[in-house]
Amino acid sequence: MKKFSLGNLLVQLFLGLVAISAVVPVLWTLINSFKYRVDIVTDTPKFFFTPTLDNYIYILGRESLVGGVVNSLTIVGTSVLVGALLGLPAAYALARYPMRWAKDIEFFVLSIRFLPPVAVAIPLMVIWLGMDMYDTRTSLIVTYTLLTLATTIWLSIPAFKAVPPEVEEAAFVDGYGPYAVFFKVALPIAIKSLVGALAFSFVLVWNEFLIALMLTTSDAKTLPIVASELSQLGRDVPWGILNASVILLSLPPMLMIGILSKFLNSALKKKRDQE
Amino acid sequence: MYHKTKLPAVFVGPTMFIMAVLAFVPTLFAIFISLQDRELGNPDISFVWFANFIHLFSDRRFLNSIQVSLIWEVVTVVSTMVFAILVGILMFHSASTRWKNWLSILFIMPVLLPRVSAAFVWKFAFHPLFGLLTYPYKVITGQPLDLLSEPSLALMSVALVDVWQWGLFFSVIVLKLMETLSTRPFEAARIDHAKPWEVYWYVAIPMLKAPLISLTFVKMIESLRAFDLIYVMTRGGPGIATETLDMYAFSQGFIESGKISYASSMAVLMMVATTVAFTYIWKWTQK
Repeated sequence: MKKFSLGNLLVQLFLGLVAISAVVPVLWTLINSFKYRVDIVTDTPKFFFTPTLDNYIYILGRESLVGGVVNSLTIVGTSVLVGALLGLPAAYALARYPMRWAKDIEFFVLSIRFLPPVAVAIPLMVIWLGMDMYDTRTSLIVTYTLLTLATTIWLSIPAFKAVPPEVEEAAFVDGYGPYAVFFKVALPIAIKSLVGALAFSFVLVWNEFLIALMLTTSDAKTLPIVASELSQLGRDVPWGILNASVILLSLPPMLMIGILSKFLNSALKKKRDQE
Repeated sequence: MYHKTKLPAVFVGPTMFIMAVLAFVPTLFAIFISLQDRELGNPDISFVWFANFIHLFSDRRFLNSIQVSLIWEVVTVVSTMVFAILVGILMFHSASTRWKNWLSILFIMPVLLPRVSAAFVWKFAFHPLFGLLTYPYKVITGQPLDLLSEPSLALMSVALVDVWQWGLFFSVIVLKLMETLSTRPFEAARIDHAKPWEVYWYVAIPMLKAPLISLTFVKMIESLRAFDLIYVMTRGGPGIATETLDMYAFSQGFIESGKISYASSMAVLMMVATTVAFTYIWKWTQK
């Protein structure tokens, strides 16, 4: 089947091209983040240049960007944590216990994803303004917790279902109570997939833009907002700095690529094992 | 064992209560605001009932934004699925295991990028003077190519970025789904001298019908989130050529006039339309 043929060669070439298109735009941004402005603003793309760390030194010394990083880390970190604390037990109960409204609850959790972000952001802006909490980290954490809860529950239910029921039953027989079974048996066994689910919810809120744009103006601005403001600067666009801040913004999701691709593999493999 | 305990109530109850509050307070409040005439910085508020909604249907910019949103939805969903199935099958058919593993990692990368980053990366690639993508055109014709300022091309150029993110990601999922299929029907078809494309078209794709429909559903939901790309790349322009519903609601509520109630009435319409449509589709896929 794998013998040499013209058709196969063309397919390989095509896949190679697709792979290049997947990587090159990002790689080019990475390269440009190490260039002086004169090397970016050229008639012909420049592949050889004197690299510089100036762009990174500049952004790491700039208050607005550092503030964005701190805000993003606090807001995203807290909402993922709260999402896990409240979401994981709920997902376990939904996966294991027969419940009258289980289907409806699952649908409600999924339907959070249908909500257009504008439809949430506009009323929340009025509400937070009224409570004098507009543009605070707390207001954004509370808002994001809805998103992290929905994602965590939705992705953790299959992870808990994959824990063999026999193991839990054996623990019950050994005299464990239902809470001990959750904390000492189900949670440790499912932990690998659960980390993947939490990583997904982290990436989702780290990347979130529209809600943060509407609910913050200065104090609580997250990194995507700060980065997008740089790109809207007038004629003298500081291209190098902009490239560097885009790389900084993209770094956390990229670091999780290993965890997430493993999570994806195991989620799709389970399907095969069930059949 | 799973019966004589209050654990489900303890674990699910408070979480669902919090989620219900977080979800229903804003959505109900959105409906409430949409019946008023609130404006930012104006303390006088009164009820105008359905005036905002009635006004919407004579607002040409609103009708334009519905059209743009629908085009966006159809173009991105269809291209993503076609691209993903094509590339997924090609990977399955002719890539070695090592090459497949490499491609899988590379193809997941774009979707994990923050939309703001993806938008910027491509905005720069499309830059008429310094862009990597427009460079060949500039060399050949001697003219700069400004894709994002051309009304007929701008929306498609932004859609390309969306398909770049989701099409590549879904192609990996299609590949993994293909790998879960039993090989027997393939061998049977091959013994019957079916050509490779016939095997995939008549055997593999029908076998994957259910997961492919679910993927399409996911993409339909994700395509609603066009705002980030459009905000960074075109801001709805040139003119209103790429102004989607959420972009228009945002500019009515925030940039141009601060008409919070008017913007909210658009958001409410969007919310009702998507909830009805997706509930219906969800029930249909569950059958």
